[in-house]
Amino acid sequence: MTASTPIDARSQAVIDGIEAIDPEFVLHLPSSTLKAVVGHFLGQRTRRTFPIPREEEGVGILSGLVIAGRRAVMIIQDNGLGNLITAVATFPQAYHLPMLIVTARRGGLGEYNSMIHNVSERAEALLDAANFRYFELDHRSPIEEWKPTIVRAYEYAQITHRPVFLLVNLMGG
Amino acid sequence: MAQELLRRVDALGAIDDAFPTQPIVLTLGGTVREMIATRGRRPNHLYVLDSMGLPVPIGLGLAVGLAENPRHDHVVVVEGDGSLLMGFSSLTTIGLLKPKKLIVVILDNGVYLATGGQPTAASLVDFTAAARACGFTGVDAEGADGLRRALAEAKRSDGPTLIRVRVGTSTPPTDFFLEDPAVFGAAFTSWVRTP
Repeated sequence: MTASTPIDARSQAVIDGIEAIDPEFVLHLPSSTLKAVVGHFLGQRTRRTFPIPREEEGVGILSGLVIAGRRAVMIIQDNGLGNLITAVATFPQAYHLPMLIVTARRGGLGEYNSMIHNVSERAEALLDAANFRYFELDHRSPIEEWKPTIVRAYEYAQITHRPVFLLVNLMGG
Repeated sequence: MAQELLRRVDALGAIDDAFPTQPIVLTLGGTVREMIATRGRRPNHLYVLDSMGLPVPIGLGLAVGLAENPRHDHVVVVEGDGSLLMGFSSLTTIGLLKPKKLIVVILDNGVYLATGGQPTAASLVDFTAAARACGFTGVDAEGADGLRRALAEAKRSDGPTLIRVRVGTSTPPTDFFLEDPAVFGAAFTSWVRTP
């Protein structure tokens, strides 16, 4: 992919970060903002990339993969966070299963959907209320910091034995 | 006189007998408590205490993750009709991924027993037809002998397989299971990963 726009550059940085984690499995919800990222992994034969129809189902599958000792990452959008809170709180958080959930931001500058901001603008508040750890990358983050931060977020999940969310805002802020 | 339905606790015994050394993911509520009360704590049993709708996805992830693991021939999920209906989309993902080791056993009592016996929609749903529509094997089993035969056949065949068996609503007295999931979950993970 040629990084000709800020969104392209951030998409490439997310790809590079996930590539550096080297997951065997990539689970994904549909995401228009992460279309290039998901498309990249769907085009690979070295990993198994597959869709999940609901966020909480993905949490369950990811948990099973983690228990089996496999490296895996899940990609979702922040407007699906409400779907997975109970699933994360009652299983991987309670059972101390490390996992990285890369979460694309919606809402905010550049958003075209007139109602998605109702949930997306409260993403941090939802995660705080649920006591889920997260890190953030957006237009304030130097692009060279994206890849190492993604890797460190994955490692942080392993070290702290819990789910970690990485909020990535490809549209800016 | 109508024949009495298979007791859930007896169905659990049949599953435990069929898979004494394979990973078994147990759904929440009385299923976990009855298995512990009658079969004791087992290293190959994962107790899902409070994640309705998640046992099938968890087992699906395990079966995919253990696909090349020579120690584990099967991954069994023991699910109820109510919890399956909460995570019903997982049948489509099973059909998509088709993990050969996955066996899902639906203990269908037609009610949400743990919350007072409110009826589920299971009486209107043909679970085995749903499995077949999603691209994998679905089998109805009847009674203890029928369940044993279905489990034996599933062991001999490539999965994924869904077995649905009707069970009654009688339950033996059991204690609450109040241990820390971080502790027994870690023990199960360690057992799964042992070469």
